[in-house]
Amino acid sequence: MRLIGATPVLLAVLALSLGAAAPAFAKETLRVLTWPGYADSDLVSIFEKQFDVSVEVSFVSSDDVLWQKMNANGGKDFDVFAANTAEMTRYIDHGLAQPLDVSKIPNTSRQLPRFRDLKSIPGIARDGKLYAIPYTYSEMGLIYDRKQFKVPPTSMAAMWDPRYKGKVLAYNGSNHNFSIAALLLGSKNPFQIDKRDFKPIVDRLIALRRNVLTFYSLPEESIELFRENSAALMFANYGTQQVEQLRKTGADIGYVIPEEGALAWLDCWALSRGARNKPLAEQWINFTLEKDVSNALTKRQGLANTVEAAKSSDDSGRLIWLQPVEDFNLRTALWDRIISGDRAEKF
Amino acid sequence: MTGQKNSSGIRFGIAFKLGVILATFGVLASGLTGYYSYTAGRDLLVKTAERDLLTSTHVVGRRLSIALGAVAKDALLLAAIPVTARIAVAPDDPSAAPRKTTLADDFSALLSVHPEYFQVRLISAGNNGMELVRVERDQSKLKRIVGADLQEKGHFPYVFQALRLASGHTYLSKITINHEWGAHSGLDKPTLQVATPVQTAVGRMRGLVVINIDLNGLFELLKADVPGDFRVFLTNEWGDFLVHPDASQTFGFDSGRRILVQDTFASVSEIIEGKTDSVVINAGASDRQPGESVTAFVKLAFGDANARRFVILGLSQPLQSVLHETRNLGINTLQMVLGFSILAILLSAIVSRAMTGPLNMMVQAANRFSDDHVTIALPLERKDELGQLARSLNDMQAQIKTHLSELYESKRDVDHLARHDALTGLANRLMFHDRLEHAIANSQRSGKKVALIYIDLDGFKEINDSGGHALGDKVLTAVSAQLKKSVREIDTVARLGGDEFIILIGAIDNPDQVGLIAQKLLEGFRVPMNIDGRSLPVGISIGISVFPRDGANATELLDKADLAMYRSKKQGGNTYHFYSADMTADASVR
Repeated sequence: MRLIGATPVLLAVLALSLGAAAPAFAKETLRVLTWPGYADSDLVSIFEKQFDVSVEVSFVSSDDVLWQKMNANGGKDFDVFAANTAEMTRYIDHGLAQPLDVSKIPNTSRQLPRFRDLKSIPGIARDGKLYAIPYTYSEMGLIYDRKQFKVPPTSMAAMWDPRYKGKVLAYNGSNHNFSIAALLLGSKNPFQIDKRDFKPIVDRLIALRRNVLTFYSLPEESIELFRENSAALMFANYGTQQVEQLRKTGADIGYVIPEEGALAWLDCWALSRGARNKPLAEQWINFTLEKDVSNALTKRQGLANTVEAAKSSDDSGRLIWLQPVEDFNLRTALWDRIISGDRAEKF
Repeated sequence: MTGQKNSSGIRFGIAFKLGVILATFGVLASGLTGYYSYTAGRDLLVKTAERDLLTSTHVVGRRLSIALGAVAKDALLLAAIPVTARIAVAPDDPSAAPRKTTLADDFSALLSVHPEYFQVRLISAGNNGMELVRVERDQSKLKRIVGADLQEKGHFPYVFQALRLASGHTYLSKITINHEWGAHSGLDKPTLQVATPVQTAVGRMRGLVVINIDLNGLFELLKADVPGDFRVFLTNEWGDFLVHPDASQTFGFDSGRRILVQDTFASVSEIIEGKTDSVVINAGASDRQPGESVTAFVKLAFGDANARRFVILGLSQPLQSVLHETRNLGINTLQMVLGFSILAILLSAIVSRAMTGPLNMMVQAANRFSDDHVTIALPLERKDELGQLARSLNDMQAQIKTHLSELYESKRDVDHLARHDALTGLANRLMFHDRLEHAIANSQRSGKKVALIYIDLDGFKEINDSGGHALGDKVLTAVSAQLKKSVREIDTVARLGGDEFIILIGAIDNPDQVGLIAQKLLEGFRVPMNIDGRSLPVGISIGISVFPRDGANATELLDKADLAMYRSKKQGGNTYHFYSADMTADASVR
């Protein structure tokens, strides 16, 4: 009720700032398909008031569910969706995403330099057209125990260091482990491993298996393992989330992006092919890049945003945005055998 | 009549109002009692169901601990066999091969007895946790794995954790999906490992015995004791579902998405955060939960107590059975409330009648009394307020009656005084005139005659002067008595004042009869009167007039009788005269 008085003023301000754009959206519905935490209801209602529209948010919990929902009706069920860079390729391949106009999303100019350089981010552009705007990311650096490392580790190779045998925690996941091993073996593109190159990488991963204490799956599990076993080094598959959680428990740890670079997933906003109102969808993307909205993501979810530099990581490190891999099933099959304990001679 | 109006003016009598109030209170009281006993009973039923469920959950939890304890005993038994340690000390020695076969046979024997075991192994402490003896279930067969198919397991917690234990202790792994290739029947199935270290005589840990358990098989055993419609949940210490009625909700983390119990049952987070050891969630606590049910979750210590690890076991009971009882309770309560309400209405009708019956009686009594001064029976014998009221009313009636009769009496006195002479009790002039008018009127109808006998005492002034007024009064009284005695009862004797009397003789046929009466009167006064022992001679002079002969009305008749009396007086008294016209002439001369 109090807002009634404020609404005309707000609308006037908006009309001034947005020109004729605002009235054009009257009574529209924006359909957003995204991940929990990316469109909290309080922020959504601010957007609804600003543009006098209603927003329907649908949440997904996995890449597979996202794909199913977008694919179900040729993308006609949603206007805007969030997918990571590795996933974007297949949405573009199947024509489920459509190019967007950066000039309609002025807040992209506030983004950190590495997100403004859209050419450096693989998977979001095709034929000179841009299909996605980075929104949030998490890189996979190294967490180390300051007491056991006099000098912070500089490379992922530290996980293979026999000095830390039984003190290393690695992640139980085929994709990233293969990519890291490929990087360490000097691969230019760790997401595209040649068939012939798999053998040395498998050997390398068996060596990793013999040097680690164990492989973890969940962030909580990693925290517990790190503390209970006085681990020295941990591959941070969940990035800053793990750093924060460990620091909360009082652990004296450091976090580095290794010199060969850190793998990182990057979730982006993209326009569905079936978007009813493209300018409104672009306004939504623009809205999420508002400083307050992006900050809320960091504060509430512990995820890095693209507007402000994260506190826990150094901005300078090289981030290698995830891309689709050459053969996911092969990597998985090999990894299952590696983690099961098969010896090198079996491969 | 007034009383009737009053009672008809009452639309809702006190009986009706009292009845309605009492009935309302009665119905309300029984309704409220019913409602509260229903709610209390329902709560009690639900509470009991909750408590029972919690107890059941604890029991199932204890069974799980016992079952796991039995597995641990098996592992310890295998670790304690001497051949086990010998293999672990020298795994590559030629003598180890037959020993391994012996141990494999032992493992097979154990697996065949326990269908819930997937795999039994002896693992080396060295060589990156190399498997030494491994027997596993493959479909219905048991299979021993040898040679290059044996794997390195040192990076699994059940290996490095068990090796840290002292001899005689067991390690219980986390419950996970088994992705270890080669565990055929157990591959991609929920599992947990029970491991115990193998110690040599020197005291070094040389290996470990590991038993893989089929979680679902274990839970099938546990569920056998739980009613069929109960649902079983198990989560790890972070809330990830491990056992769920819907298998697709389990081990979400294994496929990259978390399916947490606290997302469905929010209050379980209190167990996860260590605030409590058990929660009971009532129906409707989760809107995502299909159907109404009660669910109990308990924290179960899992594995080594020092590690403070736990799992959360949940049992869910459909509320239908509980609610069915509640419905019965509701119906019973409703019947009881209805019964008591009807009873209350009846009772209030009776009570109000009992109360207002006497009141009505008194109203009637008051009405009858005010109408007709008739007193009717009142509930005087009652010992309560109504009795008191009745008695007061009765007293009041009696008092009013007394007052009224006194009033009538004094009125009669006043009337008498107004129409009688106070001294002699004879009719006075007023009454005499009434009677005379009356007699004239009668005479005009009947044709009979009316006579007036005017009497004046002779020598009364002398008696009065000599004997005083008191004597005079006595004389007058005596004269009165004498006069009354001398005429008929129907004739009126009146005192006109002083010593003048008059007698009205009605309905006579012949005036001569009056002469006889006059003579009889004179006869009576022939002898002196005896007053206070004194003999007093009292004479009378009499004048007679007759209607209609002597006058047309009372005044004329009286005047004529007076004139006739004057004639008698003039002749010395003690005589009588009928009126004659010459008397009028005389009088006009006078």
